[in-house]
Amino acid sequence: VNTAHLDYETLADLAEGLLDDELTASAGAHLEHCLECRDRSAELAEVTRLLAEVPAPPIPAELADRIDAALAAEAAATSAVPSLEARRGRRHLRILSAAAAAAVVVGGGAVLTRTAMNSPITSEASKAQSSAPVQERDDRSGAAGGTAASPNSAPDTRSEAVTRQDAIVASGTDYRPDTLGAQVAAELRRHDRATPLRPATITAQRMTGCLHRIAADRRPLLVDMAGFEGRPATIIALPGGGADRLDVWVVGPSCSADTNDVIQHTVVPAEP
Amino acid sequence: MAFVSGRRTDVVPDKELLTRHVQGDPHAFAELVQRHRDRMWAVALRTIGDPEEAADALQDAFLSAFRAAGRFRGDSAVTTWLHRIVVNACLDRLRRKTLRPAVPMGDDAALDLAAATTAARSANPASADPTAAHEVSLDISAALRQLPYEQRAALILVDMMGYPVDEAARVLDVPAGTIKSRCARGRARLAPLLGHLRNRRSATHVEPAEGGGGSPR
Repeated sequence: VNTAHLDYETLADLAEGLLDDELTASAGAHLEHCLECRDRSAELAEVTRLLAEVPAPPIPAELADRIDAALAAEAAATSAVPSLEARRGRRHLRILSAAAAAAVVVGGGAVLTRTAMNSPITSEASKAQSSAPVQERDDRSGAAGGTAASPNSAPDTRSEAVTRQDAIVASGTDYRPDTLGAQVAAELRRHDRATPLRPATITAQRMTGCLHRIAADRRPLLVDMAGFEGRPATIIALPGGGADRLDVWVVGPSCSADTNDVIQHTVVPAEP
Repeated sequence: MAFVSGRRTDVVPDKELLTRHVQGDPHAFAELVQRHRDRMWAVALRTIGDPEEAADALQDAFLSAFRAAGRFRGDSAVTTWLHRIVVNACLDRLRRKTLRPAVPMGDDAALDLAAATTAARSANPASADPTAAHEVSLDISAALRQLPYEQRAALILVDMMGYPVDEAARVLDVPAGTIKSRCARGRARLAPLLGHLRNRRSATHVEPAEGGGGSPR
């Protein structure tokens, strides 16, 4: 004989089959003759129905755009070092004058041109990039939290490898064969003064493959995804080739780990 | 051209897209995001409640997924994996915001207090959408915010998104029984909070046109 009413919790457990046999039996017996508890039980079912009926809001268009831009920036940021300016700093000027440098010009693709031309996207991208360190901190604390840490834990080895590469920028410069050296030097000086770099939208992996192919073990001083004689191209400046000289490569959009696509290769004075 | 691969019109499976992303296809991840972002947004918004916070959490989550794609093992569905990252991003955010002092996890009272604080802070009195459906949605999200996060997340996945218990268990990385009991406890808490909605609904149903002047509309 069950006189005690069943509370919501017991009823909810009952519905999920979480009560042991004895409790299940006694609750069932009570429900048979208790209208009040049957009502409460119906209320619980109603909760599920109410929740199911809430319409799912579509993602706001601005947020969708923002996420696209952030992901594009992330693709670039895995190539371009987060604290780019800090790392470049004076060091490069010293390397530049002391050693020789080489510059490579690689042709960028449609994606890259869009970044260079389209300032709204670029500004979104840099905003997203500037918040990157915070996100990284978030990721770590998430991993420490324990629950399903795998997606967020452990440093990303892929980006680590790429981060060793130097800054990739998209200056929007249209490089010319006759002024290549001066333009590269000007671009290097500009970054040395810690000009905010505009992150380039390009697949990091592709660019990395190209850089490894062209630069081998040398660290690029400049990778500018810009233009060459009006066509999309990436300019890569490497140290080497003798004192006070830049090894400059101009490569086209197809440059990857497997393809050269070199438009021009030249050695220019580091400080014209 | 090099970028053609991402513009295929046939439907590429999620796992294939993720593999392509890892291999350097610049369009693969964007495609994946496009496919699932509405669903992920719904989960994030419902879990966090506040649209701005939810937007930040979702962006963080997609960035995490972008970076972690190489570590996706393939033993679960890509959507499960994405859901897990999104839900974790949301829960991390909620916990960081409200549980700054060292409150032991699993202390329901503390969690309740935290959840209620969040609810109070992000309650939005400015919304004046007159439709009853919208009011119901608002009431439900306000009620959800009074639940401990774990119960809320389970109910969002199972009752709101309609996922099977097993799928929710994989997303939240807990046993199915835990999902069931979190859902049960969540419903038990919500039932008295949502009672007025039930009454209102039945009222509007019983009096279809302009019945009693008391029916809210």
